[in-house]
Amino acid sequence: MSTLPATRWERLVYRVRTFLLDTEHLGRDLLVLVALAGWALALPHYGSEFVVSMALTCLMYIALATSWTLFCGTTRYLSLATAAFFGLGAYVSALFIDSWGWLAVIGAGAGIASLVAVLMGSAVLHLRGTYFAVLTFGMTELIRHAIAYWEKQVTGTVGRVLTVVPERDTVYLTMLGLAVLAVAVSIVVRRTRFGLGLMGIGADEQRAQTLGVNTRVAKIGGFALTAAFAGAVGAAMSVRWTYIDPATVFNPFIGFQTVLIALIGGVATLWGPLIAAIVFSLLAESLRLQAPQLYLMTLGLLLILSVLYLPGGLASLRWSTLRQWRDDTQAWWKELREPKSRKAANTVQGTRA
Amino acid sequence: MNGHPQLEARGVTVRFGGLTAVDDVSAAFAAGELAGIIGPNGAGKTTFFNALSGVQQPTSGELFAHGQRLTGAKPHQYAAHGIARTFQTPRVFGQLSVAANIDFGLQFAGLHRKSSWLLKDEDSILHLIGLSDQAGLPAAAITPSQQRLLEIGMALATRPKLLLLDEVAAGLTEAEVEAMAQLIRRLRDELDLTVIWIEHAVTTLLRHVERVLVLHQGRKIADGAPSEVIRNPEVVEAYLGDEMTEAA
Repeated sequence: MSTLPATRWERLVYRVRTFLLDTEHLGRDLLVLVALAGWALALPHYGSEFVVSMALTCLMYIALATSWTLFCGTTRYLSLATAAFFGLGAYVSALFIDSWGWLAVIGAGAGIASLVAVLMGSAVLHLRGTYFAVLTFGMTELIRHAIAYWEKQVTGTVGRVLTVVPERDTVYLTMLGLAVLAVAVSIVVRRTRFGLGLMGIGADEQRAQTLGVNTRVAKIGGFALTAAFAGAVGAAMSVRWTYIDPATVFNPFIGFQTVLIALIGGVATLWGPLIAAIVFSLLAESLRLQAPQLYLMTLGLLLILSVLYLPGGLASLRWSTLRQWRDDTQAWWKELREPKSRKAANTVQGTRA
Repeated sequence: MNGHPQLEARGVTVRFGGLTAVDDVSAAFAAGELAGIIGPNGAGKTTFFNALSGVQQPTSGELFAHGQRLTGAKPHQYAAHGIARTFQTPRVFGQLSVAANIDFGLQFAGLHRKSSWLLKDEDSILHLIGLSDQAGLPAAAITPSQQRLLEIGMALATRPKLLLLDEVAAGLTEAEVEAMAQLIRRLRDELDLTVIWIEHAVTTLLRHVERVLVLHQGRKIADGAPSEVIRNPEVVEAYLGDEMTEAA
């Protein structure tokens, strides 16, 4: 297929690159996952409070974006409902953390979120494209306002304070577990019939159907799986925030950010969302507090650049892509200077005629 | 077998708003039949196929596969009942390899179905359709006529009893058309498949099928052996005589 690059340096880069980004080999994927997880596991022992908090955000976005990509990336059903599942998880956590164990709370968050996803999916998963995206967004808003209304009218509160919260390391380890699980599930699903079916739905849904894929069941199942992760992440994150209200936990920006990360990283890839989540949380933590506008602008710019010049996402970045960009820029620069002489030539011809 | 036809349509009607694309068409196809469907442009051939494969729910009418009622079922259930189809424009998974495209059907509808030795695995199907040499190429990279063969291979991978072919010879050269017709006959003869074949090029089709249905403005105006059908005055009128006399 592709030929090996010539120089030693290029060959080395090529090897590192295929090792890291090609999703063909199970053993290698698992090895990378274990290495990253081990590194993240050790972090709380030597990292400062700031670094650990940044890593937590990072793990949260890895779990959200990777699980989003698992369904939405492969089937190309662009869901904006991540915030709905996240918020539901957060509320489950706020309601039951006092009476239930930590893992039971996380499990319940995942369960409730996927239950809602099954209902939501049954209603809207026969729609495609814009309609699906807009309806998932609309349903998120509906859930948010319904809960806000309920809290105000029935329980008479605006938000909830979580008093009994687990230690920082417990939250961190839970989030790490969820992130690892999200990647592991993605690795596994990509190699199963279920994953093949999802891929078929993304490529040509009707064709997949005529070849025997029960698309409805596959879509609802995939959507529920994605939602379970978002719900679990929400349940774990709410204890970090200690005070939650519908506006924060159902913030649609959570859904947008997840989509942005997945798009920038590469929706068709396994490691893309993870790479982008890391870049993203570094940006978020370093820019958000000092220059919030700059943070959002950088985000927008990154998205535009990746859509225009790197449609496959960060994970599709190759050495040859960079070379191509360099050549393109040089050609563009030449072009910029050339027209003068060409124009001159034209006018000469013009006068002759 | 239990005496039921492989596939039976009773009074199938498909309406799109005010337009009746298929109008009260009934037909039964016995096991091992090689039948053709012809008709002028817009006669409702493809819409009828869509109804026969579950892709389009009929407005009214009933469908039976082997005596079992399939009306209202989803396409994957039709596939599970051994009804496979191809599409007019090949709809292969362009990014997957040719072999992986075949594998797709084997993984789903074809997974638990009994099959002939010829449909044993990827390799045997690729060999049958003559694409063994292209197995490793991405499906988007092979020629359009190879994609038509792959489209048939994908349908065969569901290990069907009945194959619906929608203009598989369109855009092929004369030699390729002949090879395609040979392949279709072979599928029927060696795999015992029932084949229903739509073709716009009437002459080619009439040479190879044993039975032909003629659709005109959504209605079935003739159904019988090619030699009888081409003498049917209504058919001659629908085609303005041209192609029919050539075929005769």
